[in-house]
Amino acid sequence: MKGGMRRIAALVKLSLLELWRRNDMFVLLVLALVLLVPLSLARPFGTAGATRYFDEAALLLIWGYSLFVALGTGGRLFSNEFANRTVYPLLAKPVSRGQLLLGKYLGAVAASWSALAFFYVLWALSALLRGGELLTPCFFQAFVLHATFMALAVAAAVAGSFLLTPSASATLLAILFPGMFFFGRRLLDYAENVSGVLRGLVAAVYWVAPHAEFFDMRQRLVHGWGGVEAGVFLAVVGYGVAYSAVLLLVARFLFNRKSL
Amino acid sequence: MSSMEDKCFELVGVSRSFGDLKAVDDLTLSLGRGEVTGFLGTNGAGKTTTIKMLIGLIRPTAGTVRLFGEDPTQASTRARIGYMPEMAYYYPFLTVRELLAFYGGVCGMDRRTIRTRTDELLKDVELEEAAKRPLKTYSKGMLQRAGIAQALLNDPDLLILDEPFTGLDPLARIHFRNLLKKLRDRGKSIFFSSHELGETELLCDNVAIMKKGRCIYHGPVDRLAGDGGGNLERLFLEVLEKGGVS
Repeated sequence: MKGGMRRIAALVKLSLLELWRRNDMFVLLVLALVLLVPLSLARPFGTAGATRYFDEAALLLIWGYSLFVALGTGGRLFSNEFANRTVYPLLAKPVSRGQLLLGKYLGAVAASWSALAFFYVLWALSALLRGGELLTPCFFQAFVLHATFMALAVAAAVAGSFLLTPSASATLLAILFPGMFFFGRRLLDYAENVSGVLRGLVAAVYWVAPHAEFFDMRQRLVHGWGGVEAGVFLAVVGYGVAYSAVLLLVARFLFNRKSL
Repeated sequence: MSSMEDKCFELVGVSRSFGDLKAVDDLTLSLGRGEVTGFLGTNGAGKTTTIKMLIGLIRPTAGTVRLFGEDPTQASTRARIGYMPEMAYYYPFLTVRELLAFYGGVCGMDRRTIRTRTDELLKDVELEEAAKRPLKTYSKGMLQRAGIAQALLNDPDLLILDEPFTGLDPLARIHFRNLLKKLRDRGKSIFFSSHELGETELLCDNVAIMKKGRCIYHGPVDRLAGDGGGNLERLFLEVLEKGGVS
């Protein structure tokens, strides 16, 4: 392994250790277990149709947890380094700020994905117990799109932590992402029904804000509608990767300008 | 006159301001190979800001900083230095072995070298028995020893230490002093800021004294001590009051 790769690998490992040795991750996983298992196993009125809504609710909970994990890990990635001043001895080593940013980001994404995998395995097992199908292409697409969304949310949290205070950034993103998730696709319709500055503002939000709803496969998964076309799937993954890259470039620019 | 080849670092006409505050003002200072220099001054004299510029954490607003003839903000330049911060700014959830493995990775070292160096250094700083405990359970003295181990991991040519004696008990202080003496005897260049004049006198060839961002004395310890025939503490106070040495 070359020096540059060794540096990135060391930073990835540090991020993973940091996240998994913190108790709040385990609290979250236990909470997920406690809430998701009974929800997924419930059989209201003994009808298959009704259980689908419980499945959907369980997936919505997974989305909520994953957003919490992504914003929590991404937001604390550098704010903790600055607050605890661990960044000083670290940047005295032969590592550039760009490598530090990329390594820690990849570590946070890997940790977030491991939590997401746990949630999906849990959900898939409960579906299997009720006689559902496992590992369908739709399930695979849902997981990959959700994982791409998490990478985007971590990047947004990292960039936000350089722009604002950690709490301000977390609050803003905790409003922005659910807002886009539930109302993103209706923003242009709304813009057409208002006028003046508000119209421009709503349209700007539509074109600039990250469209969390693009990554949502819950209904397809729960109602068995099947996956999306490969072209659409790849386009959404590409959108997530490109958006994350832009956010990381912003974060790198801000980090390079930051006086320590 | 010595060339840049003989110098570990060189600051020429360096100034650094934070808003209206001039933390470092027109500082010219250098460190030769194998030299041990103590960097003295009162709180707020500009010592830490100077060290931050030396390791590339911040850029000067005027003047040039050269580390082994190169720009210290370039990551590759820092491969030849070891830095220990004033406080133990390390990851409390890691063990010292994990900390050294992490920093070794960040230095681009391979696993085998990291393992060998870690074993050597843990022995040198006497942390072998505590190697499996997380750093959050360490005492201040143990953290300082972990700090020096991480600074020495890549076998640097130059050691930059910020207040290395702060908060150490007498025993830890003696141990740390002996460790620095051993490194000095091995030919390492050492530059450290300190308020501990006794330790500085025992370890250094030269001292640089800062006052309000300016260097008011840079030269051999014996010359400073010889001027008044007294100890470094009394002379340090005299220099600060006079604003320099004639």
